[in-house]
Order: sequence, then C-alpha cells, then structure tokens
Amino acid sequence: MNAYAPILGLILLAAVFAVGSVAFSVVAGPKRFNRARLDSYECGIEPTPQPVGGGRFPVKYYLTAMTFIIFDIEIIFLYPWAVRFDHLGVFGFVAMVTFIFLITVPFIYEWRRGGLDWD
Amino acid sequence: MIGLSADTNANEIAGFGSDPWWIIAIKVVAIFVLLILLTLFNIVFERKVVARMQHRLGPNRTGPKGWLQSLADGTKLMFKEDIIPKAADKVVYVLAPIVALVPSFLILAVIPMGPEVSIFGTETRLQLTDLPVAVLFTLAIASVGVYGLMLAGWSSGSTYPLLGGLRSTAQVISYELVMGLSFVGVFLFAGTMSTSGIVAEQERLWYGIILLPSFLIYLISMVGETNRAPFDLPEAEGELVAGWGTEYSSFKYAMFFQAEYFNMVNVSAIATTLFLGGWRAPWPISAINDGMFNTGWWPLLWFLGKVVLLIFIFIWLRGTLPRLRYDQFMHFCWKVLLPISLVWIVAVAGMRLAFNEGLERNQILLYGGIVVAVLLIGSLLIPEKKTPAEPEPEEREFDAFAGGHPVPPMPGQEFVAARIPAATTQTDDRTEESSRA
Amino acid sequence: MNAPTIEYAELAPLITIFGAAVIGVLIEAFVPRKVRHPVQVAVALLALVAALVQVILLAGTGMVAAVGAVAVDGPALFLQGTILVLAIISVAFFAERRLEAGGDAFAPAASTLPGSEEERILVRERMLQTEVYPLALFAVGGMLLFPAANDLLMLFIALEVMSLPLYLLCGMARRRRLLSQEAALKYFLLGAFSSAIFLFGMAFVYGYAGTLRFGEISEALTANIGQDGILLAGVGLMAVGLLFKVGAVPFHSWTPDVYQGAPTPVTGFMAACTKLAAFGAMVRLFYVAFGGMRTDWQPMLWAVAIATMLVGAVVALTQTDIKRMLAYSSIAHAGFVLTAMVAADQTATAAILFYLATYGIATLGAFAVVTLVRDSGGEATHLAKWAGLGRRSPVLAATFALFLLAFAGIPLTSGFVGKLSVFTAAIDGGAAPLVVVGVIASAIAAFFYVRVIVLMFFSDPAPEGPTVAVPSLWTAVGITLGAAATLLLGIVPGPLLDLAQQASLFVR
Repeated sequence: MNAYAPILGLILLAAVFAVGSVAFSVVAGPKRFNRARLDSYECGIEPTPQPVGGGRFPVKYYLTAMTFIIFDIEIIFLYPWAVRFDHLGVFGFVAMVTFIFLITVPFIYEWRRGGLDWD
Repeated sequence: MIGLSADTNANEIAGFGSDPWWIIAIKVVAIFVLLILLTLFNIVFERKVVARMQHRLGPNRTGPKGWLQSLADGTKLMFKEDIIPKAADKVVYVLAPIVALVPSFLILAVIPMGPEVSIFGTETRLQLTDLPVAVLFTLAIASVGVYGLMLAGWSSGSTYPLLGGLRSTAQVISYELVMGLSFVGVFLFAGTMSTSGIVAEQERLWYGIILLPSFLIYLISMVGETNRAPFDLPEAEGELVAGWGTEYSSFKYAMFFQAEYFNMVNVSAIATTLFLGGWRAPWPISAINDGMFNTGWWPLLWFLGKVVLLIFIFIWLRGTLPRLRYDQFMHFCWKVLLPISLVWIVAVAGMRLAFNEGLERNQILLYGGIVVAVLLIGSLLIPEKKTPAEPEPEEREFDAFAGGHPVPPMPGQEFVAARIPAATTQTDDRTEESSRA
Repeated sequence: MNAPTIEYAELAPLITIFGAAVIGVLIEAFVPRKVRHPVQVAVALLALVAALVQVILLAGTGMVAAVGAVAVDGPALFLQGTILVLAIISVAFFAERRLEAGGDAFAPAASTLPGSEEERILVRERMLQTEVYPLALFAVGGMLLFPAANDLLMLFIALEVMSLPLYLLCGMARRRRLLSQEAALKYFLLGAFSSAIFLFGMAFVYGYAGTLRFGEISEALTANIGQDGILLAGVGLMAVGLLFKVGAVPFHSWTPDVYQGAPTPVTGFMAACTKLAAFGAMVRLFYVAFGGMRTDWQPMLWAVAIATMLVGAVVALTQTDIKRMLAYSSIAHAGFVLTAMVAADQTATAAILFYLATYGIATLGAFAVVTLVRDSGGEATHLAKWAGLGRRSPVLAATFALFLLAFAGIPLTSGFVGKLSVFTAAIDGGAAPLVVVGVIASAIAAFFYVRVIVLMFFSDPAPEGPTVAVPSLWTAVGITLGAAATLLLGIVPGPLLDLAQQASLFVR
C-alpha cells in the first residue's frame, strides 16, 4: 500500500487544482444573461428538440466498444504471459498461440461480416 | 539484455514505499509544476513550429519573443463567462472536464526521470513511485480519461456533441488497444512491468531499436490515442465545430485542451521510458568517463530532451500531413495495425523462445527468413478479388428541370439548351404568326 | 517450471465439439452462401457423432483430467453421451426445411427489425441463417463440460459457454419475432443475474475452503477450518444459480416465457439438454463438494422440491398454450428429480441419470411434434386448435399421446420406470413425505396430460383448424426414434438401468 500513497497525493493535488479552477472561473467570469446563449449551438439555426438522454445513436459504436472489450481482455491475458515468458517454455508459447488464434477466429468472422466497416 | 530479472525487479521497486513524506510532497508538487510548465511551453512551441513550417512567424508579442502567449490565453479563458446550456445535465456537465483532467496528471507519477539523487540530504530516485504493474496502471489511467470525453459529449444535451463524443471515444479506445499490444513486445524482453525495471533493462540497447515494429506501431497509435493530427477529425474545427466540446465555454473548455496536451506529454513519456531508454543518455555520451552523464541530475536533461523530441514529432505531423477521414483511420487501426501487432507478438515470442531453447541467432534469422519468404510467396499466389464491372450508367436524356429545380447534367449526359417555359413563347408565336400572316 | 500434463485422449469429446464449433465460425466467414447450409449441417452432425463415439470408447474411465479441473467418470460420461444423442436429434430438427415454405424455423437474419423491408427481401430470396449450427455446437460443448467440471472455475466457465449461445438461439424465431426477441431478452437478463449470484456464491465457498477443486473442498469441510456462515451463504447462492438453470421454483419464472417464445426446435434442445447438464453439475457439486454437509442443504432441497412439483403441476392446469403447458410440465419434472437428489447416495445418482435420459428423449419428441401442427400463421400452439387432431392424423396424435403418457408416468412408458426409480431412491433416502407430494403432483399432472389426449381424440376438430405438415426425414427419424425409445424403455428398461447403475460413482 505504501507505493500507492504518493499517487493519492497527486490525485488530491490534481483534484484541488481542477475543482479550484472551475470554481474560480465561475466566480471571476461575468454573468450576463442572454437567452439565446443557453440554447444548444447548431451553427446558428434553432436547435431541434432532443429527447432526454440523447435519444438513439447508431449501433456501430456499440459494436466497436464490444470488439474493444474482447481485445482488451486478450491484452490483459497477454501481459502476465509476456512478463514470465522466459520461465514458461514451449508449452506456454503453444498455449498462448492457441489462445490468440481462438480470438483471431471471431475477429476474422467480424471482419468478413462487415462489423469493422463504416466506422 | 535477455535474462531472468526477478531479482533486479525486487531491488528496483523496494525503495519506493519508504520515502519520507516531505520528499513525496516535493515530488508531487514538482510533477504538477513540470506538467503545467511543459504544457505552457508546448502550446507556444507548437504554434511557433507550425508557423515556421508555413513560412511565417508564430506568436511573438506576448512576453519575451512570444513565449508567454499560452499563459495569457489561459488567463483570458479563466475570466470568460461560464455558460451551462439549458439542455445539459448539470452535474455531469461540470464533472466531465474534471474526469478528463485528473487522470492525465497521474501517469507521470510512475515515469522514471533519473537515477539516485540527493534532495536535501536524502537519497532518493527521481520518480514519484513505482509499482510492479506500473505500465498496466498507466493503461488503466488512460482508459479512465476516456470517460471525460464520452461524458462531455453526452451531457451537453445536443446531437452534435453526442456524436462527436462517440466518434472521439471510439477512436481513442481503438488506438488504445493497439498501444496495449505494442507493449507486449517490451514485456517479453524486459520480464517486468515496472517502469524503473524496464529502464534498467535498457542499459545496453534501447528497445526502440530491437523492437522497431513495436516502436513504430506505438508511435502511430500514440497520435491516434491523443486525438492529434492526422487523426483529429472528431475535434477538427472545420468539421464538427468543436466536436464534443461545442457547448463548453471558459475554463472548462480550456481544461479539455489542457488534458489533451497533458496526454501528449504522458504518451511521449511512456514512449521514452519503454522504447527510448528512459533517462539514459544516448550512446556516444553515455560512454564518456564510464557513464558520468548517467548519474546525478544529468539524466533529467536527457529525459526531457527525448520527451520534447517526441512532442516535436507530434507537431511536425500536424504541420505536414492532411487529415484522415474517420472511416479511413478506423479501417487503418482495425484492419492493418491490429493484425500486424498480433503477428508481430507471435513472431517475437517465437524468436525469443528459439533463443531461450538454445538456437543460435543466425539460425533464428535463417528460419525466420524462410517463414517470411513462404508467406510472401503465398500472398502473391492468392488471386486478386475481381471487382465486378460497374454497370453502365443509364443514358438518360438531360432534363434541365428534373425534380422541379434546375440541375446540372450528370456524367454521360449532354448539355442541351433548356426549353424556355411557355409563358415567354406566346409572344414569339404571336409575332411569328403575325409575320407569317 | 514444468509444463502441466493434459490428458488429451480423455478430453477428446470436448476438444472435438469446440474445434468443430470454431470451424463452424470459419465456415460462416468464408464459405459462399449457397453451400453454407449443407456444409454447416454436415460439420455439426459429424462432430457430434465423432464425439459420441469418443465418449463410448471412454466408458469405464474414472479419473480427474487437466490438472484436476475436469472429471471423466461414470456420471459425466453417461450424461455427455445422452446429451450428444439428444443434440444429434436436435440438430437434425434444426435442419428441417420442409415445414416452412423455403425456410427453416429460424429468422433469415436475426439483426433485421421485425416487419422491415430487409426482412421481407431476405424471406423472398429464401435466405437461410446458418449461424445456429456453430452456436448450437458451442452450447453443446458447454453442456458437455458442465456436468464434468471438477473445479469451481471450470463450472462457471461451462455455465457461461452453455448459456450465452442459448440466449441468442432463443431470439431467432422466424415467426412471431417480437415474442422471440422478448423471450431472449428475458432469458438473458435473468440468466445474467443468476450467473452473477452463482459467482458470488463461488467466491464465498472459495473463501471458506481456500481451494477451488471439489475434492479439496470436501476435505476442507471435514476439517472444518473456516466459518460456517460464509460456507452456508456460498452454498445457498450457488444453489440459486443452479436452480435457475434447472427451472426450479422460485427461480422458474423464465421457463414458460422462454419456452414459448423460442423457436420450437430450440425449445426442445433447451428443455432436454440444458436440464441434463444443469442437473449433472448440481448433483456433482452437492454430492462431491458439499456431501459432507448434507444435513445443511437437504432441508432447502426438500422445500424447493415440494414447491416445484406443486407449482409446476397446478399452474400447468390453467395454460392454454401447448408450449407453455409443456414448460410448466418440465418444471414439475425438475421437481421429481430433486426428490431423488435429497437422498444423496449412489442409487439416487443412478435413478437421476435414468430419469434424465428418459425425460430428455420424451421432451425432445414432444416439442418436435409441436412443430408439425401448423396453420397459416406458423405453428398452431393454442390448445383449442389441437381439438380433433386424432381424427385427422391419428399417427401424430398417437405419438404425442405416447409422449404425454410418458410425462404422466403411466406404466409401459419410460416415464413410469423413471418415476418409480426416482421415488424409490427418495424413500430409501428417508424422504417419504416428498414422495407423497410427488405422487399427488403426478396425479394433478396426469389430469392435464390426459385432457390434451381427450381433446385430440374425442373432440370435434375446429372448422378452420390447423393441418399437420408432413416432415422430411430430418424430423421424422427423430420423432420415430424418440417414440420407439420411450416405448422400449418402458417395456425393457433393464439395460439402461444397469448402465446408469454402473455409471453412478463419482470420482473424488
């Protein structure tokens, strides 16, 4: 735990700086009420009414996020293997190559089915 | 270079839990000040360098030769009006820049900037702290920073920021993936994830030279991760106003860009540590006087020099390259960088395994060369996918008023003078008739 | 560091099925659309048959493989063999294409919105979706691993590998797509919750015992090293997860909706194979790992068994949809198996294995018959439409009547022998009140089974009633085998009973 204490200190300093800056700018800045400024900016035209919470958005962002999760978990498994690779011998190498292959198969499937396009 | 470094790791990390609190406080404040100063420097540096690349002078009025320009800009922004749009989710709207900014301070906490020095009589290393999983910590903190972008886009209450935030987030996480994969090669060689251990392992040869493909992949993904040119479509001014930052004003806007510049410093620092030997002096200098320039406070100079060099590369890319379209760089990340990274990891692991099992380096290169040759010949033999011949566009007669408004001719159509509408031909007919009659 | 030894020969069935599933995904990626369906069906069936042959060749093994993670012993091999047989018949049902004009029971592309233009175009082009075959193979792989897992972690992984493809398969019906998607979402949400609770319980058990392997947990129980509170909490939470999968009360609410909404071949596959795998895992967990604390979990199982049998039987009385009725009847059957489980000895294991095998065959056959009764809107599942089917197609009605009688436990069907062995094991284990409740529940259940038989044979057919489609060989062979097995096991149950008896020893 001792090794993490300095990080806590840095978090504290950073948070104080960030919150302090925002507070300072709220206090120090002028406040001239102008109804038009409170609308959403759409290059000058009247903003279209939006549903609460943003409404719908294209599903391809969800696909990108899901693919990212899969590969991120693969990376998490790769890190300890790489660090201790010298002790693991041929068995470790073959096991990890099998694992990478098994992740590559759905990647190929997604590529061929167009999950990686348009975005 | 290759060795079982479990013992050295324990020694490397052992010293860090035991610094006295005032040393820790000095280091924390020093990192904070370093980041802010580097950012102020970087902004003006960027404007001046881009200007010189465009044959003009950059800012040269504010302060000596213009170097206080970013300080003036930041102060000006702080005194601007703070607007919160009506449709915004107030809590998240104020929290998002804080969530984007705070993690970007933390990465420098685990970056080694120098070996043992003496501060006010206490021996300590120029590094705030070190963990056995320091690089993983770095990656995790970078991921938390992505939340700031997403929350900013969503909480602004309007579609353009939402879509800009989504696109920016999708880009950042895709390139973060590739960044993570490029670290695996370094771990294979270093045998540790702690940053001081990795710098210690690079004593004889920097990983940027041995693992050149990993280094190049990291350089590319570093530019993509920080939303910098040529990958900066989500925040380019001409494209989406300011993307996810459209509704932000005053210092909150400045905080996002502060976070971006901090991240530039952070990824440069990581590149320096993992690939460029950290605080070690480059070869000719490190050999002088049996490594004199690698002790004391000198390494801080080498470290900062390498970081500024990498930032110069960031700025150089911005000044030179045109912007890539969004689908082009997502295609590049998923379909080019990711497969190359995976293949490279397997190749490096295979070569290291062969070396560990006793194969000579010459034999490894020979076998590796044979495999690459086979793959190249095989890829040449795969038949080209024939693109289907495009159907001939239909020949349609050009109708100047198709659709009720004037249209230009399509490719393949000839321009024919439009038939004048009926209202004006009546007089002509009458004159013709009268002339005939 | 020494490389661990992996007994590839003993793990061959698992490797075959998972390898074939991966090949199925690659076929999806690369094989051109026209030949994809025959290739996928061929690969799936070949892999299942090969795995069945390997399981039969492994008969008699009693060891723990893969560094203590997978058990290859009697109950595991028996259940794996049964699951593979049922899976072969299920995949044949999936491949049936004569019932829907130019299509099978699955939506051409599950990602199109129901009622959209894309869906209409795909139906018109007679597109077939072939992703169901790799998904089914992955589910079968998980089902093979689940009763054989000897390690808490492997148990959880098998649970997830088994469940996730099933969530997807439930949403892919061709007709009544919104109902199907709703069923898939319900199954997914409730299944995810129950998996999370299961994992939580696993963490508690690990905290008590300090180890993940079943044999070592059992030793830790006898040594009584940790605090009992954590152990009881862990066992309770793990039981919640497993009882959900089995469909026992009070975790049964997903069963009627999911069975009704899923495409009927998938319902048959789920009803038969998932229950087998889940009961196999539950019996192994409670007998091998928690056997030493049986006095603690037996009262819980008493309560769950009574509630399950009664709720399943009583609520099925009110159902008007045949798939929901069969779902509630399967809940009741889960209750009957739980009565034998409280006995916690070897005869109980043998009885459970036999009951599960016979129940699986009968359920699969019954759901296959349901696919054959069709009208213009797809399958006619409302009970009123089944009136008078006996007059119009006596063979189908007789087959269905046979399956219903097997469910009811009438003599000369396999269900009777199954119920007899299960109740005998329960009485021998000291759970006579459970058997009394079981007999009462059977009587209630018999009422609604016989009601359907009476409806089919002794009522007048509805004027615009459904027709009975003539299936191709894929379905016909399966139904015939199921009916024959049900009858045969009712008349000569000896060989299967002996096999179950031999296969009932758990390796520790």
